Amino acid sequence: MPIKVRIPTPLQKFTNGKTEVECAAKNISDLVDALEKDYPGMKERLSEGGKIRRFINIYVNDEDIRFVNKEETALKDGDNISIVPAIAGGQVKSEDGKLRRWEVRYGSC
Amino acid sequence: MLVISRTDLQSIIDHCNAGYPDEACGILAGRNGRVEKVYCMGNARPGPVSYEMDPEEQFRVMKGIRQAGLEMVGMFHSHPGGRAYPSSVDVEKAYWPGTQLPNYPEAVYVIVSLMDRDTPVVKGYTINEGSVQETVVSVI
Repeated sequence: MPIKVRIPTPLQKFTNGKTEVECAAKNISDLVDALEKDYPGMKERLSEGGKIRRFINIYVNDEDIRFVNKEETALKDGDNISIVPAIAGGQVKSEDGKLRRWEVRYGSC
Repeated sequence: MLVISRTDLQSIIDHCNAGYPDEACGILAGRNGRVEKVYCMGNARPGPVSYEMDPEEQFRVMKGIRQAGLEMVGMFHSHPGGRAYPSSVDVEKAYWPGTQLPNYPEAVYVIVSLMDRDTPVVKGYTINEGSVQETVVSVI
């Protein structure tokens, strides 16, 4: 049974609109390579310098890979992988180093 | 447009007030732009100008929403000391890192301003295709 990967909306442009794809891989690093092979552009979106990008969370079945073995988290046939972008927001630092909230006018950004 | 009951709206405001002076956040589940359930979430990066939904809780809630046959119609967070407009970081984080691909293009980003705590201001936005557009939050 292959590994099933649930593809989040922003990456579905790389999978021709597929919401779920199947592949074979030994671990998460392998999985990223396997996805890149079948769907070019995925690797750059998912990782940077061999590490999964910040604000992207990957789950093997129900386990967050950060609490297992990160990119080396082992995979087996039948695993279900979820790729979930974080929901976050916040502030920026101004030139004087103080924190402040920058506003954007709606209708433009 | 996002349609929400007065009770659900009050749940959002109550959660934001409970988190004050830090930002608070949550997920809105429903169908066709109508909120049917409010999930008040933990802030994994608490601060008066920052939030990040607890990733594990987010995953669990999103899975539950799918299994219930609902959609994530929106998400909310508070601006304890700011206006009810998305900050530049709010906008940046609405996109896949380093791209202009919106993470949740169908969702309405609801922002609750607590600048005047007696009169919270609640507004909704879509963040998509490089622009921020206000959308009506209709309270029924």
